[in-house]
Amino acid sequence: MTKKLLLVLAMMLLACSVLSAQTPGGYNAGAQWVPISAAFGMAIASGLCGLAQGKAVASAVEGMARNPGAAKAIQLAMLIGLAFIETLALYTLLIIFMKVS
Amino acid sequence: MEPELWITKLFNDHLAGLGNSLLGIVGAHADPRPWANFVVMQFVVVLFLMGVVALLRWRLSADRPGGFQQAFELIYEFVHGQAEDQIGHDGRRYMGYFGTIFLFILTCNLIGIVPCFESPTQNPSVTAGCALTTFIYYNLIGIQANGFKYAASFAGPVWWLAPMMVPIEIISHMARPLSLTIRLYANMFAGEKVTMAFLGLTLFPIPVIFMGLHVFVGAIQAYIFMVLTMVYVGGAVAHEH
Repeated sequence: MTKKLLLVLAMMLLACSVLSAQTPGGYNAGAQWVPISAAFGMAIASGLCGLAQGKAVASAVEGMARNPGAAKAIQLAMLIGLAFIETLALYTLLIIFMKVS
Repeated sequence: MEPELWITKLFNDHLAGLGNSLLGIVGAHADPRPWANFVVMQFVVVLFLMGVVALLRWRLSADRPGGFQQAFELIYEFVHGQAEDQIGHDGRRYMGYFGTIFLFILTCNLIGIVPCFESPTQNPSVTAGCALTTFIYYNLIGIQANGFKYAASFAGPVWWLAPMMVPIEIISHMARPLSLTIRLYANMFAGEKVTMAFLGLTLFPIPVIFMGLHVFVGAIQAYIFMVLTMVYVGGAVAHEH
């Protein structure tokens, strides 16, 4: 399993040097990577945001189950927490909108 | 660039001279069509809020409160409750600013749903203005409450930690208006762009769900802006008592 992973990684690195030879003399040689890095960046940001929001909602729901009287306050705190976590993923989307022309 | 709304077109056709003189006050160069969408929309929001509050003032009655007055009493109790949670009993003195910033940002976010109007908070200049106003406000309140010993609060709890605490405190204070700006701007901008993207991709009812989410997120972001303002004012006022 680790050997296969290392093999795939080495092949990707070799592919990097091959692909970067496609724009000779271009001063904007990094521009071809913008769509791919935008997609990977957004995927990582959204995935981590999903994990964090899942944790937040899980503890909120468990708190509401243990103490139904405090459900309103817990729900309010959960919504505020979700909004803050969501905003972090949105910072990545903002950079993508600014950089992808 | 953004196409002009019909209101902006009205302003640019008839009030271009006024716009250019206002630009001249701050030293910006004159433009044939000086009014931008977000400037005109902010004026619309302010005039709408002033009209609503004037109507409320006319209809205020202690004996027979109507539905309109009760709705505003609910809003007042909500903001007051949050202020007391964050600042304590002194929260009442700063209610004017909290209520204003909450209603202004809420109306700015929601007016984008109305066809032929656009949320001014989709433009980073508007959110930067709100964040800078909050920044100046809470620092002024800190100086008003504590005198010039407000600067001593940057040094932290013990005096020998001060050389480390002061840069950290300054950086964290500078990060506050930046995060307020970007949080509100990114939420509003991304909400509209996502709705437009789905409108271009699929059937008509699907983007309606995203637009509903955008309304909900707009209300939550207005509430979060207000709560963060209260937390910052609370932190600035706290060191005396």
